[in-house]
Amino acid sequence: MTDQSTVLADVRRGMIPAHIYNDQEIFALEKERIFGRAWVFVAHESEIARAGDYVVRRVLEDSFIVTRDESGEIRAHFNMCLHRGMQVCRAEMGNASHFRCPYHGWSYRNDGRIVGLPFHQDAYGGEAGFKRKGQRLLPAPSLDSHNGMIFISLDPDAPPLREYLGDFAFYLDYYTKQSPSGIELRGPQRWRVKANWKIGAENFAGDMYHTPQTHTSVVEIGLFREPKAEKRKDGATYWAGNGGGTTYKLPEGDLDERLRYVGYPQEMIERMKTSWSAEQRKVVGEDGFMISAASVFPNLSFVHNWPRVAESDDVLPFISVRQWQPISENETEVLSWFAVDAEAPEEFKALSYKAYLMCFGSTGMFEQDDVENWVSLTNTAAGSMARRLRLNSRMGILADDTEVAPALTGEQFAGPGSARVGYSEYNQRALLARWADHLERPITAAVARDIGGQDEVVPALEHLPSEDTAEVTGA
Amino acid sequence: MSTPVSDIDTHSARSVLGAHASRVQRAGSTLPFGDQRHLEAHQWLVDEAYLLDAQGYEAWLESLTDDIHYLMPVRVTTALGSGFDTSPGMAHFDEDKYSLSRRVARFLTEHAWTEDPPSRLRHHLSNVRTFATPDENHLIVESATLLFRNRGDVRESSFISAGREDLLRRSPSGSGWQLARRTIMVDESVMRMQNLAIFL
Repeated sequence: MTDQSTVLADVRRGMIPAHIYNDQEIFALEKERIFGRAWVFVAHESEIARAGDYVVRRVLEDSFIVTRDESGEIRAHFNMCLHRGMQVCRAEMGNASHFRCPYHGWSYRNDGRIVGLPFHQDAYGGEAGFKRKGQRLLPAPSLDSHNGMIFISLDPDAPPLREYLGDFAFYLDYYTKQSPSGIELRGPQRWRVKANWKIGAENFAGDMYHTPQTHTSVVEIGLFREPKAEKRKDGATYWAGNGGGTTYKLPEGDLDERLRYVGYPQEMIERMKTSWSAEQRKVVGEDGFMISAASVFPNLSFVHNWPRVAESDDVLPFISVRQWQPISENETEVLSWFAVDAEAPEEFKALSYKAYLMCFGSTGMFEQDDVENWVSLTNTAAGSMARRLRLNSRMGILADDTEVAPALTGEQFAGPGSARVGYSEYNQRALLARWADHLERPITAAVARDIGGQDEVVPALEHLPSEDTAEVTGA
Repeated sequence: MSTPVSDIDTHSARSVLGAHASRVQRAGSTLPFGDQRHLEAHQWLVDEAYLLDAQGYEAWLESLTDDIHYLMPVRVTTALGSGFDTSPGMAHFDEDKYSLSRRVARFLTEHAWTEDPPSRLRHHLSNVRTFATPDENHLIVESATLLFRNRGDVRESSFISAGREDLLRRSPSGSGWQLARRTIMVDESVMRMQNLAIFL
């Protein structure tokens, strides 16, 4: 494999070799060293609210059944039968107490334990030939959740998710904890775009600079009143822990007035006030910054905007959670969910959903123009000329690295991390610096295990349930 | 071939934003292909396909009733017998006249970059069949559509295959028809098109 140390050094000084957005070797390295290690979002607990509910989600090529078992515990099973490697679940979602492989009929409880192995005695000689006891579908190496957001890491020694998120958790609450009940997630819409996965993540992390240009049309038609150039640059970007995002500067007012300005009804505001810390309230209420887009390394993004959804001056806020799932160096599957506070009034939920559909997702009027840019960029990055070009990603710093604008003080911005008003590429650099750190660090080879072998140590389970084929899904 | 159905049995009624949609349902079997009503419905769809190919969206908007509900559910792969194959509470399009009018207005600005240069579009239309309804001013038309979309010179083309069920309502003038309700059942769970800056 080519030595990428020059590429990483260039990226770290904010000069981006253009080919990293369409490079097979870089992608191979990303697969191994980023997606083989980082915490990757797979689902929200509200998507699998009842016992037996499941969704099937991927971390690159690896398919996982993310399910709530009969005892209510959330699990993620590698979606591969222990016998011949078939996918045991071929649906995207549903409810099942068991999963049965359609190939030879092995079946598993939704907690992963093997429960049916046809002709175990006749064919294998029972436990002496194949140790069935304690066998279960391979669990995700690491599984953790925060505010109901479920993540997987393929690294069994991954740090706790909360530690990985770091101070970004402060900002995550604005999207996912507007009340004690948190969010409910709907969707996702899924579609594939011929664009490199990093472009969306960088854009959502900090690109306020593109808004007035790319999204001119949505202002012209009266959908959105904010992204005029002179407004957008008054916002702040922040980077904290393993993520960062953008904000809008709101007109004068207190917390209630500012939350009303973006369209929240008073009863939701009351719940936000009790769910958020004093510092979280101060960022909006006193500092006057309202969160907009954000990204968590590597490929999870959020957006919060407040368009008009009817022939009226009123605006309605919505939240979207989205993932840039890499398919190859030049293709990404976008998974775009609509999120809304679970305690919000039903009418608010419906209109917020309408706001989401009009702005983001597969049909969203903001998103339509973004993707066109990203596909075009990826396409152009494939050739040999792109290897002669290092894109300047140094906005916000001078040639000698001094800052164009100083970081905000704690008085000006109560949130953790580092925040600045105006256009800059601090966040894109922070995201790509993590990218470089991951690519640089070799990965520990994963440990493989035998299935059903005799010298294998398996933890004793309390009892082995008898064969049970009720509610089995072979899908 | 068709049975009376309750008024909750429309996709619009089950969608998040379709409460305002007409609940008129089909009655009886497919109309004979020589029936005047079928001929009119078929022609309406052919004319619409040409309009959408040409991105004649202002004229298209005028062919929709004020209470239009335009719905394209998100399809999901589910086990046989699970009883659903669309994503609960989520759609690609769940539109009323206002939201459609904003989409059309955006294309008419000079800054809708995704369609500048414009796509080459071809809406292939087939399998058209028409049903009467209990009300002579409404028809149900089903059709299949295959949209071919090509952008730029060398970029790969993309397709969307979908089935549609439309409710046509006689125009207030008495001549011609308008679209009052459309459900688009796309045949992919994961769309292979960069965005849906198109109409089906």
